[in-house]
Amino acid sequence: MTVISMEHIVPVVNKTAAIQQQQRYLVLVEFVYRHLNFQLAELKSILEAHGIHLGSSSGSSSGCEILPLPVPPTNRSISNRAFVILSFPIEEAKRWSGLTQTHEEQQLWGCSSTNLKDCANQSFQWLNRKTNNNEVESSSSSQSSSSFQRDCILPLVCDDPERPWKFTIHTLGTKVRRDEQDLMRKTFQDTLDSLKGPVKLDDPTTQEFLLIREIELDGKGSALLRTAATNNNNNNNNKTSSDDNDDDNNSNNITEMTSSQKNNKNNKDAYYNTDAIAYYFGRVLGGRIRSNEGSRGLDHYSLKSRPYLGPTSMDAELSFVMTSLGKVTTESIVYDPFVGTGSILLACAMRGAYCIGSDIDIRVLRGRGGNQTIWKNFDHYKLPRPEIVRSDNALYHRHYRHHRPTTTTHISSSTTATTTTATTTNIAPHLYDAIICDPPYGIRAGARQTGSKLDNPRPVLEENRHNHIAQTKTYSVSDVMSDLLDVAASTLKVGGRLVYIIPSFRDFEEDRDLPRHDCLELIDSCFQPFSNDLGRRIVAMKKIIDYDVSKRTEYLQSIWIDGAESAEKCANLRDKIMEAAREKPGYEEKAAIRKVKRKANKEAKKQEKKRSKQEENQSQQIKSTI
Amino acid sequence: MRLLTHNTMRNNSKEAKGMGFPFKITAAEVKVIDNPDAGATEERDIDFVKRMLPILEWTALVRAASECGISSLPHTLTTDLAESRPFLQALYHILMNVHLIKGMLTCPVTGREFPVTNGVPNMMLEEDECERVRL
Repeated sequence: MTVISMEHIVPVVNKTAAIQQQQRYLVLVEFVYRHLNFQLAELKSILEAHGIHLGSSSGSSSGCEILPLPVPPTNRSISNRAFVILSFPIEEAKRWSGLTQTHEEQQLWGCSSTNLKDCANQSFQWLNRKTNNNEVESSSSSQSSSSFQRDCILPLVCDDPERPWKFTIHTLGTKVRRDEQDLMRKTFQDTLDSLKGPVKLDDPTTQEFLLIREIELDGKGSALLRTAATNNNNNNNNKTSSDDNDDDNNSNNITEMTSSQKNNKNNKDAYYNTDAIAYYFGRVLGGRIRSNEGSRGLDHYSLKSRPYLGPTSMDAELSFVMTSLGKVTTESIVYDPFVGTGSILLACAMRGAYCIGSDIDIRVLRGRGGNQTIWKNFDHYKLPRPEIVRSDNALYHRHYRHHRPTTTTHISSSTTATTTTATTTNIAPHLYDAIICDPPYGIRAGARQTGSKLDNPRPVLEENRHNHIAQTKTYSVSDVMSDLLDVAASTLKVGGRLVYIIPSFRDFEEDRDLPRHDCLELIDSCFQPFSNDLGRRIVAMKKIIDYDVSKRTEYLQSIWIDGAESAEKCANLRDKIMEAAREKPGYEEKAAIRKVKRKANKEAKKQEKKRSKQEENQSQQIKSTI
Repeated sequence: MRLLTHNTMRNNSKEAKGMGFPFKITAAEVKVIDNPDAGATEERDIDFVKRMLPILEWTALVRAASECGISSLPHTLTTDLAESRPFLQALYHILMNVHLIKGMLTCPVTGREFPVTNGVPNMMLEEDECERVRL
């Protein structure tokens, strides 16, 4: 999974006594600052896929729960926070740890508070408590070996006191001066003093202690700076002198801020560009998937590194998010009815699922540009090839037989007998654990279905039949979606998930315009904005009841609440985007500038061609004269 | 195309009336590709086959396998076999690792031929074979 990058674990120190008695561990999850809307939904799905129940009742012994984040005393409500604190019972934390191993996240244990001192005190308490426990364990019945074993299985609980360590400070992209960092370290002196191991920065066994200073973020994940109004006066004079000090700040705003802060050296807080709203301290427990190095980092799967691409290939990170929402595991069977270049199935295959894809596009057969076929990507990552069929999703039930044999007598093993006797003719068979897809909406790729646009298509000549590419006709978005939902409802197993992407233009209302199906329940709908007008949603649905074939027309009719009107909202988006662009002030001028540029480009290319031709001719002439 | 997929597909034309199953395989190239993925374990493979067993059309599978040159499958599936681990493992191999790369699928009802190229079956009908009815 891509979004979880860090975790803290610590027993609850300052929470209710009921929780304190049971061994519960706190995990701090820091999300990356992209797709903030998706994060919680993905986390829920991941936990669920590993059999961890996410509840909200405090004090219950099982299940994981989300604790409120520390709030600064100013009582302002703060949005866009990329942290979640999860509380686990010890058994579940173990499973969670297994999960993070497979997805390569970074974990921490530690404690959290609004006050740095508080934070340090808590972690000191926790560390001492833990070492006491260790002593009790080892002294009571010489179980040092068993406690070591537990260390291997459960790295969250106890660790070797002799292990090398290092201490890192993470400030969410803002700058903190060196002396201020020293001060932060010194606050944790007591805790760090209790660690007996040596300090090593790059040893593989090194455990990393991380202090996170959380600041307020804006919607795009960049730091919200303190209001610049008070410091504006000093800026102009000192700007040049500060350049050497602040080299790689992202925005001009920050350089301005720091230059003004140079004047207030006495005020320690002023070294920060921002106000801290919380501190978290803990031990890092794993690697991260997002790191640039490492063969299994996200960059390894980036679209740029793939041999076969199309214009609508799904971004690697988002594909992973979709597989998480679809609860794809190694046991899953996943189907993508609009496979295209296979970018979504690729992510599923990386999770170890058995992948089946189909597409109506002839390119799934021929590939593009010579040898480039859908297999190339899978071979590139050494993944097993998916199953690809060129077929029409509109005719799914005609392409595939009902997934239950007509002759049920040929097998009579005890396990399967129960399933066969339970079937009634009305219930459609199920096969897939998840259907994950990016249906074509006609923005970059339009949907097609079998058939000709003519009422009486010309017959295909017999001698051409061998090489003939069948005509297809446009497939309206409302039909695409109703077919997709119907196929999902009839072929998913109960509890299986349908995950798809739907574009949302500005007038799209989530409650009314999302397609629905009586057999499918909406789990999550995560919005990703592109611009003021346009965005897209990742929608996850779960199959809740068996599909009744006799109710098919009923199902199909109730898919769009507002009928064609809803479907219209996600259709023809290309035109709508163009229209919206035209409405903006200054469109004409910009378009004119672009036109001039295009013309100039064309002209330049022409000239280049001419010149190269001339040169060629000249060289040939020279050769001939020689 | 794997034999597992072959076991689920049928002719989608109207004339076949949904009876176009199973396709007769005329194999030109059959490849055994056995590269297990990272998550592959014996246990998972066996669970997978156990899940597939109630869905499979056994007689169709036996015929398809023999058309691809594998004649080792028993004609009837007994309870004992469905419990035997070595058998299930072998069955997994046949279902998942045997790929029809090039060949022809022939509908048993109408005789319409669907080509398989580069491992991908083309199940689309020509425009003059489609009726203008939305399913």
